[in-house]
Amino acid sequence: MRRVPLALAAALAALTFAAPLFLERGTLNDVWNLAFAVILASAWNILGGFGGQVSLGYSAFLGIGAYTTVLLSLGGVHPFLSLPLGAALAALFSVVIGLPAFRLRGPYFTIATIGVGEAVRVSASSVSFTGGSSGLRMPAGSFDFTLNYEAMAALAALTVAAAALVRKSAFGRALAAIRQDIDAAEALGVNATRFKLEAHALSAAIVALAGSLYAINFQYIAPGSVFDFRLSLSIVLMPIVGGVGTVAGPVLGAVVFSTLQIKLLAIPALRDSYLFLYGALLILVMLYEPKGLVGLARRAAARLRRPALPPPEAARAG
Amino acid sequence: MQDIAGVLVNSVISAALYATMAYGLAVIYGVMRIINLAHAGLLMLGAYVTLSLFTRFSLDPFVSLLVVGPLFFALGVALYRLVVRRLPQSGATPSMESLLLLFGVWLVLQNVAYLVWTGDTQSILTPYTLKSVPVLGVRVGVPSLFVFAGSVLSLAFLNLVLRATYLGRAIRAVTQNRDAALLAGVDADRISAIAFGLGTGFAGVAGGMLSSLYAFTPDFGRSFLLKAFCIIVLGGMESVTGVAGGALVLAFLENALGAWTALPTSFQDAVSFTLLFVALVVFPQGLPGLFGRLRTAHR
Repeated sequence: MRRVPLALAAALAALTFAAPLFLERGTLNDVWNLAFAVILASAWNILGGFGGQVSLGYSAFLGIGAYTTVLLSLGGVHPFLSLPLGAALAALFSVVIGLPAFRLRGPYFTIATIGVGEAVRVSASSVSFTGGSSGLRMPAGSFDFTLNYEAMAALAALTVAAAALVRKSAFGRALAAIRQDIDAAEALGVNATRFKLEAHALSAAIVALAGSLYAINFQYIAPGSVFDFRLSLSIVLMPIVGGVGTVAGPVLGAVVFSTLQIKLLAIPALRDSYLFLYGALLILVMLYEPKGLVGLARRAAARLRRPALPPPEAARAG
Repeated sequence: MQDIAGVLVNSVISAALYATMAYGLAVIYGVMRIINLAHAGLLMLGAYVTLSLFTRFSLDPFVSLLVVGPLFFALGVALYRLVVRRLPQSGATPSMESLLLLFGVWLVLQNVAYLVWTGDTQSILTPYTLKSVPVLGVRVGVPSLFVFAGSVLSLAFLNLVLRATYLGRAIRAVTQNRDAALLAGVDADRISAIAFGLGTGFAGVAGGMLSSLYAFTPDFGRSFLLKAFCIIVLGGMESVTGVAGGALVLAFLENALGAWTALPTSFQDAVSFTLLFVALVVFPQGLPGLFGRLRTAHR
């Protein structure tokens, strides 16, 4: 029973890697975007979903990865060699932010992360080495789409695998305990701050890697694009709409979002307002199904398996 | 280099506006323990409604506050009855669900604005927009003075409602001790609806006043939301006088940094965001909590 999704995932991964052989460039671009979304959503979910620490400041890590790559490439380093440094810097920054911020709980932590994200964005636009508001361009000749595509696909597969491993491990169980009741977890000897910091660093490093690949693919970055609040927003919305705290949820959310994005951006009137739908989705999820699409699927499956069970409304009324 | 009088006058003027913004958040937080992220969207919407009243009916932005206030009060009550009430009640600390739900409301408001008013930068230009008059030897823009007057009047109105009416006393009672207020026969659902209406009304009025000072887009409001947070964190989330103090501290820091350091103006916002972060972490009980701790330490 558990083997089936694993085999399915492996087949899907193999198909994705082989895609440049038979898909055209436009479709590959869409798959690239999907892989990018899967990475961001699944990485955020490690801290936000498993550990229940909702951060709205993840664009900072994406930006750190992207800027490390562009600045080092301009200094003559091969772009792909800059990836580990970007990831390390993002992890370091996540610890620097996390040490004070993790003293805050729930919504207060969330607000603090909005503050950090905005402070980073505003500072990045005001200093000169980021290229200010005009941004920076990658050196010529550093672009190879197929290579970038394969790297992004590999990172997506690794991120989902890492999320699945974390969920099964003692680390994942500690995060779940922190999410459910942090006081009880600490009373039982779980070092909550340490686990939160580790989850933060792991997800920050992954997001930074995706940010580096983003910079290489688009060849141009600016504080307004990589530190954008809307980016932090989408990173949070995908796992929540898909199903927070599950492995499949963020992937599902990423699929829904990137499909919608492609469809919605094609309509000129909705170019700026595509987030409308996401906001409405978020409201619906919060009111009716906090476990998102995954929760919805589970409910449907349970309904199919036991059709004799009365619907929850009838049960409540009786 | 600007003299101390200039910094002080400007600080007091911005502080009044900041306090109006922050009170809207504080009333809702006090009664319902909900952090209203939609506040940013409501500030933005207040600015756009004021703009529409100005262009359609050539209503002066400050006169239109008399329309915007009640309109947003009704909007807030509707928002509470249709959406917010369906959430489970927050406990002593706000729930994540309420934060994310109102975040969704913010997104919807923002993108409705993109659809209705497009993403173009808008501003309101009245005959007095560029005029200025001397106050205590400092030249102050006429719109800033009107904003100051509008803020003081709205704060006085709120204070009157909270002190002198049954509703206000009920709001304060629920804020101080929800269970005791319920036992005393306060209808918490009705009080919550009114508090949400008041908070939303204040957001609309503050947004309307912001529209005569700044240019705005549908993305407008986020930095002011963070400033409002910063203020209620500094002032303590429940204390009413604290909010005014927090607003003064933030306004003074911003103006002082702008006047006496070489920091670029775009950096000023980063200062308040950093201050928000530091304030949240260092004194979770706000300045009153800090003073309380100092007092106990000296004893």
